[in-house]
Amino acid sequence: MGSRPTRRQVLAATAATAASGSVSGCLGAEKNVAGRDQPSRMTLTITTLPADSDPHAIRIVRHLAEHLEAVGIEPRIRTVDDAGLYREILINHDFDAYVGQFPSADPIDPDALYSLLHSSFVAEPGWQNPFGLTDPAIDDLLDRQRRADREDRRRAVTELQDAVARRQPFTVVAFPDMLTAVHDDRFIGWERTRPATSEGLLELDANAAAGTATGDGSPNEEPTDGEDRDEEPTDDEGRDGEPTDEEPANDEDRDGDSTNERRLRLVTTDSRITTNRNPIAPEHRRYGTFTGLVYDPLVRAIDGEEVPWLARRVVRVDDRTVRIDMREAVWHDGEPVTADDAAFTYAFLADTSLGEAETPIPSPRFRGRSTLVDSATAVGERTLEIRFTDAAAATQRRALTVPILPEHVWRSRTGLVDIPVGISINEMTTEAQVWENPDPVGSGPLRFREAEADERVVLERNPAHPIATRPESFPEPVRGKPAFETLELRVVPSDVAAVQQVGDGLADASTSNLGPDAVPRIGREAAARLVSRRSGAFYHVGYNTRRVPLSNPYFRRVIARLLDKTELVRSAFQGYARPAASPLALSGSWLADELRWTDGDPATPFFGTDGELDAAAAREALREIGYRYDEDGALLVPDAAE
Amino acid sequence: MIVVISVVAWLFIVVASLCLVVGMAILDRGRIARLGTNLRRYPWALRREILGLLAVLAASAVGRGALQSVSEVYGWRATGTIVAIEGTFVAWVQASLFSPVATRYFSWIYIYAYVFLLVFPVIVYGSRRTPTTLRRLLVAYALNYGIGLIVYTIVFAHGPRNVMPDLVTSLLFTHNPDFQELAAQVNENANVFPSLHTSLSMTVATFAYRTRDSDPAWTVLAAWIAVSVWIATMYLGIHWLIDVLGGIVLALGCVAAAVRIVDPDPRDGVESVDGGGTNPE
Repeated sequence: MGSRPTRRQVLAATAATAASGSVSGCLGAEKNVAGRDQPSRMTLTITTLPADSDPHAIRIVRHLAEHLEAVGIEPRIRTVDDAGLYREILINHDFDAYVGQFPSADPIDPDALYSLLHSSFVAEPGWQNPFGLTDPAIDDLLDRQRRADREDRRRAVTELQDAVARRQPFTVVAFPDMLTAVHDDRFIGWERTRPATSEGLLELDANAAAGTATGDGSPNEEPTDGEDRDEEPTDDEGRDGEPTDEEPANDEDRDGDSTNERRLRLVTTDSRITTNRNPIAPEHRRYGTFTGLVYDPLVRAIDGEEVPWLARRVVRVDDRTVRIDMREAVWHDGEPVTADDAAFTYAFLADTSLGEAETPIPSPRFRGRSTLVDSATAVGERTLEIRFTDAAAATQRRALTVPILPEHVWRSRTGLVDIPVGISINEMTTEAQVWENPDPVGSGPLRFREAEADERVVLERNPAHPIATRPESFPEPVRGKPAFETLELRVVPSDVAAVQQVGDGLADASTSNLGPDAVPRIGREAAARLVSRRSGAFYHVGYNTRRVPLSNPYFRRVIARLLDKTELVRSAFQGYARPAASPLALSGSWLADELRWTDGDPATPFFGTDGELDAAAAREALREIGYRYDEDGALLVPDAAE
Repeated sequence: MIVVISVVAWLFIVVASLCLVVGMAILDRGRIARLGTNLRRYPWALRREILGLLAVLAASAVGRGALQSVSEVYGWRATGTIVAIEGTFVAWVQASLFSPVATRYFSWIYIYAYVFLLVFPVIVYGSRRTPTTLRRLLVAYALNYGIGLIVYTIVFAHGPRNVMPDLVTSLLFTHNPDFQELAAQVNENANVFPSLHTSLSMTVATFAYRTRDSDPAWTVLAAWIAVSVWIATMYLGIHWLIDVLGGIVLALGCVAAAVRIVDPDPRDGVESVDGGGTNPE
């Protein structure tokens, strides 16, 4: 928000000096003018990624910028790289507004809003209240939904959505379709679940027809027009049974010739994983797809089912406590995975300094989930007891899905470090948070093999993982998986280049967003086809409520009403998205009825119709909430000194 | 990588053929013969300039990643300012010139003609009697790259195709994704100011203008390609008008500096006498 000295200020100052007391009447008036802060024109900076990194976000920004201009606010578009965006927003809180995606490919549990909006996280880095919202009513509802069960929780969640819609700390724009260009030659099952998630990659099957080079009409070759496939996975279920027959063949191949290595080749525009593989560094992780395959949680959600993963069994002791029997497993460096590691992980996520700092420095990722855990204690070599904080049993279980970290690697990373360069808030941080973790040691089904900065990362199958040694103890979709020996993720410069690589058979699938320039291209590439699934990673405009004028919820609501979400879905997403008014719009029955998208935005209706902004109406709305315009029609920053 | 190698191989073939054809057309036999002689003398005689240029290119190749990281953290985020100043000029350029033929022409200019424009003056000036102009050219190239790299680090901005994709189509890369793979190997998409395509083509055009008396055909050709390159950078959505203007200013500065650094003698004004265009052999 810039304010330049106006001509009037300069004149007033000159007059005040020149008058030097002789004409006191005049001086009084001039003094009053000079002494006042002159209102300046409003500028709003919107931070986002360039089109190469995110083809949709920049289009939303352009749309918003155009409408801001129409109502007399000068927009400034600030484009930054992936890590830079999240450093500025999540760590430094240095932004007016941004456009980005919520970091979860799957639709969220309402409790995910706890860390996103609770005022107790206002000073923390990460996806913890980056908006700086401090609202007692919302805090109260967040606490209530956490403790409540069933109908009580439903009521709290409904009220919460309504309160969030009225305060608009962020504006939900749309839930995009996760679009992937795939090449079925070698791997199939892309439409079974969201392909750019850890679970989606785990569930892939090798194409039985591979090598024979005939596409002999296997059922997965058929649906080349995978467009518009909605979230209903039912039509894929028939396919689920089929690939299991192929498993023995997979195993043979694995031991077989290494020249035709079973390699899953993915392309992305996001290079962060090639330089930083720290699972708790929020500015370097999107959904944590690849770190999610290297690190195992106690319980993994597979197709919406909670599957004991590092845990063998979860037994409830009382309404605040569970006891977990863990599987026999080893870290990628050969050390055994113990209950001590799990207990360490929960203590470490709650305070990465493990008591060394005066106030705890929690892990900026998994923060909402780590606050559900009161204590975790190893009661045996592989037996863990977790005591939860005051939360309903269903909500408590979310805490079991955080990745378990090896104590012998992370314990030495608890030291405090000086303020790292480029980071201005949260002056204390631990080595663990800024560590690049170049050679990650996890216990997951994949282990790290090699990486070249900004070029590629290679992961390989972990033969010691329980999924390989005791496949029968895993449910069908992941039994005997992964279907590949190695996973290579290569960085490409844009979505168009990603599609080209898949079309040319140089990659099996793209994992980053595909924009309007790239999608039509898939149709022209004979070998590639489009797979689409609704993603939970909703696009939103986030506001920095710490700053004037975005500290004013009425102002934020007017800004939200400048967005024509229907038009954006058409133009920025080419229809591959669903407009929404609530962050829980995809979370099944949690969505509040009043916020259901019917024939327009139920919470913040667009000023205008059919893509045309009614600027006069928007200006009038701004005047009504106390804003003023200058003679040129520019909106003035309210006189607010704080 | 495979993609990039085939693109580079094709680029090499095209540029070599262009050099051959244009060289035969505008250089007489005497100069072609002298080029042969000079080819033996100049690498040693111009070793300082050649090594200097190679050093800058190597520094750029090695240090670009690190400097880019510095730019990401500390660089001045200039995208918003650029848009505020020039608005949708580039969109207007693209919209007014748009046609499939124009897209093919400017893509060809941006890739092939541009590389030819940088390589061919080495042949033109390498066939002169004295190496002064060639020396200056190499020094100017090195200055362009060196200063460009520094300014890239200071200014962090993305180009029109990345900022207003609703108005400006990424024409080059949408039609030739392979080129983007190549471009990504030699540049970052946040390096837009100044346009080195513009500054290097302006540098060559300026030298061509200075030698217009001895090589008039080359002057016309260089000017044509250079102006086409400037338009191409905007038409293809890669650069802003401000980047192009910055490139032109950078080029003029670099040429002036190169002339001062290399043989700043008063005969400078009559430089054309060392040319061999009309040389009776």
